[in-house]
Parts: sequence; structure tokens; C-alpha cells
Amino acid sequence: MFALRGIAVSLTFFVLLYCCLSALVVVSWRWLRWLHAAEQSVADLLFLLRVLPLLAAVVLTFAFVVPSFQLLEPRSADEGMGTLALPLGAAALLLIALGSWRVITAQARTARMVARWLEGSSPLETGAETATLRSRPEAPPLMLVGMGTPRVIVSDSTVELLSRDELNIALKHEHAHVRSWDNFKKLGFRFSPFPGMGSLEAAWSQAAELAADDAAVSNANDAVDLAAALVKLSRLIPVETPVDAAPACTVGFVTGSISVRVARLLAWDETKRSRQLRIPHWLAIPPVVAAVFCAFVTYGPVLAVTHEMTEWLVR
Amino acid sequence: MTKSFSIFRSNSTPQLGPFEQQLLRDLWARGSATVRELLADGTIHQAYTTVMTTVDRLYKKGLLDRVAEGRAFRYTPRMSHEELQRGAALDGIRQWLGSGDTSSLPLSYLVEALSAHDAQLLDELQLLIERKRRQLKAGERNGRPPKTEEC
Repeated sequence: MFALRGIAVSLTFFVLLYCCLSALVVVSWRWLRWLHAAEQSVADLLFLLRVLPLLAAVVLTFAFVVPSFQLLEPRSADEGMGTLALPLGAAALLLIALGSWRVITAQARTARMVARWLEGSSPLETGAETATLRSRPEAPPLMLVGMGTPRVIVSDSTVELLSRDELNIALKHEHAHVRSWDNFKKLGFRFSPFPGMGSLEAAWSQAAELAADDAAVSNANDAVDLAAALVKLSRLIPVETPVDAAPACTVGFVTGSISVRVARLLAWDETKRSRQLRIPHWLAIPPVVAAVFCAFVTYGPVLAVTHEMTEWLVR
Repeated sequence: MTKSFSIFRSNSTPQLGPFEQQLLRDLWARGSATVRELLADGTIHQAYTTVMTTVDRLYKKGLLDRVAEGRAFRYTPRMSHEELQRGAALDGIRQWLGSGDTSSLPLSYLVEALSAHDAQLLDELQLLIERKRRQLKAGERNGRPPKTEEC
């Protein structure tokens, strides 16, 4: 009974924290549009915001709720579960089950579709680290699939339609997605569903595309080649089959607002690009260290407060 | 904006007359204003009472907020230009989708229109790319980088 109560309390705390933080992110993430930084930094921040509720809820639950219950709760079997803990604990289990289901179905669907696209495929020599496979004409024009062993699928139609330079720069764009782990990030989104997060995910997707464009392009000719590839491959995708219908564990080349991407590429300016604000990843270290230090210094009192809160939950 | 107001008529997005639209534009530009302030810069050639009645009508339509300021009211738009346009567009699309005898018919028109619009947009983008390519080639021939053009 003690263990069961501990699990129910931890799950209750987790789901409450997850929902509150997610709601906060849903209403506040648009403030980021005022940030004028390099697209990679914008994409990183949007991703961080998207996964923050899940990460924070897991970390805080395991760092404070579980130990506070273990250390401060008397091991008496008389205490009941409480009216709030049981339904909220069940809701947390449902949330975890839903997230897992979404991940499993997304992976299964991706595996099924990729297997179909790869029937009769042959390797395409590109000199890149990521394997590139030439696939049947009805496959998507250009797409990154797989996480453990990422592969880029290029359809026959794409190889025939694009010039050598256009194909090379389009492949560089997909390889930039591999380096950013964008496939893996998309799967993370599926594990943590919350109403209203769709617009944040769409904004991240657009920023990730622009960041991959930036990473692929190194001069004005590259930019024009990439824009040309984008327009040519857009014609291969009918409106009736939107690119968003692609499996969740893939990153398609023709994604996001095509006109915005093309306009941006045609206005490509190396000096402007180099002046853009880039937020280095090490900037995250000081706040994390400060938070760990604060938690270390105030651990005892915080555990006591957490325990009081959990007592209130099971009352 | 005029187009969206005249095309889309629904309960949730009110239809606006030309003078109401003008006052709303002035209020968006200023952020907030009293009737006297709206009349002060001389762009509105209407009587004080006409302006007062019109902003009162906009307030009753739910498009403005107001707070008392002395013996007058200070009016503030409740939504931005973009929000109002988005609301009008969504209302219009909803109304249009619900208008057909066969529910799938308007959707098929929409797909057809989008395909045509998509193809036209891609043609335009293709032209821009070709122009940029010619500029780059000309720049290379002349030995100087081409001027970057904002699209």
C-alpha cells in the first residue's frame, strides 16, 4: 500500500506539473518571435520550450517527490489514497500510455512506408557520411528517414529532374537535418502530447527547415540552386497529399512555407548571415549549474515543502 | 481589409461600413484615443457626434474597449488588424464550406483552387530564380558580386 501510494502521489505530481508547464508554454512561446537570432538558435529554443514541460516534470518528480515520500512519509498502511491522487495518477498513466502509443505507431508506420519506398532501391554515390538511396518514382522526392541509422531517400524523379548542383545542395540540406537530430526531435514531440502545442511544433519545423537551408548554403550560387531544387520538387507533390501527411519519423525536403524559404534564399547575403545572433549551447550551463547548486543547498527544506504538498494531494 | 469585410458576413465577425473601418484604422495606428483626439489631426471631416456614435457602435459590436477619462471615453481596439482579418477569413471559409448541398463539394473546389494557386505561385518563384541566376552570371562575367535583391 505504501509503495502504491508513493507511485500514485508521484504520478499525480508529475501530471499536474506537466499540464501547468505545458499550458504556460502554449500561451507564452510566441514571445520568441521577437527574438532576432540565427534560425538554428531559434529552432533550438523552440525545441527546448516544447520538451521543457516533460523534462521538468520528470526531473522534479524524481529529484523531489519520490525522495520526499520515501524519507518523510510514515510507513503506515492505514492512510488512504485520497480522492485527488487516484484519478490524477490514472490520468498520468494514460498520458504516458498515449505518448508511448503515439511513438510506437509513428515508428511502425514509418517503417512500413520506408520499406515500401525502398523496394528495389540502389545506393547513390554522394560522398556524404549518411547513406543515400535512390528509390522508386512514387517515393517522396527527397526525405530523411531513420534515427539510429539515418538514410536519405531520393526518388528516381528527383534525380532526373534536378541538375547535379541542385541535387548536391538539396542533399546537404538533408544532411544538416541529420546533424541536428531533427528526426529524433520529432519523435520526442509525439511522446509528449498536449493541446495547443501544434502551432509551436509547426514553428519549430519551419525554423528547422530554415536552419538546414542556412547550414547547406555557403554562397549565392548555392542559395539559388537550393531555391530551384525546392521549387522543382514542390511540383512533384500534389496538393491533395500534403507533405505533413508524411510519417512522423521522417523529415521531408519540401516542408514549411516554400515561398518564405525561396524568398530568403534569393535574398541570401553572407555578411548579413554572419552578423546574426547565435546563441551558444554553453549558455545553458550556468543556469543549470545554478539550479543544481540551489537544489543542493536547499534540498532538506524543499523536500519538506514537497512532502507537505503531497500530503495535501492525498488528503 | 475592405474586401474581407464585404465578402464575409457572419455573426462572429461583424460587417463594417467605410467610416467604421476608417476609425478602426486610426485607432490601430494610435493604439488608443478619445473622440476629440481622433478629430484633432483633421483627417476626419465628420461632426463630433457622428464620430462619437460610430465609435460607440464599434464598442457595442465588441471591437473596442473603453475606459472613462474625465467626461469622455478612451477607446482601445480589442484585437489587432491581423486578428480581425484572420477571424473574418475563418468565418468566411466556414460559411463557404457549409454552403454546398454536398458537403465534400466545396472542399474539392478548395483543393482545385489551391492547386491552381500553388502552380501559379511556383511559376512566379521559378521566374524569380531564373532572374537571380541571370544576375549572378552577369555579375561573374563583370567580375563583381551581384547586388542582393530583397524579394
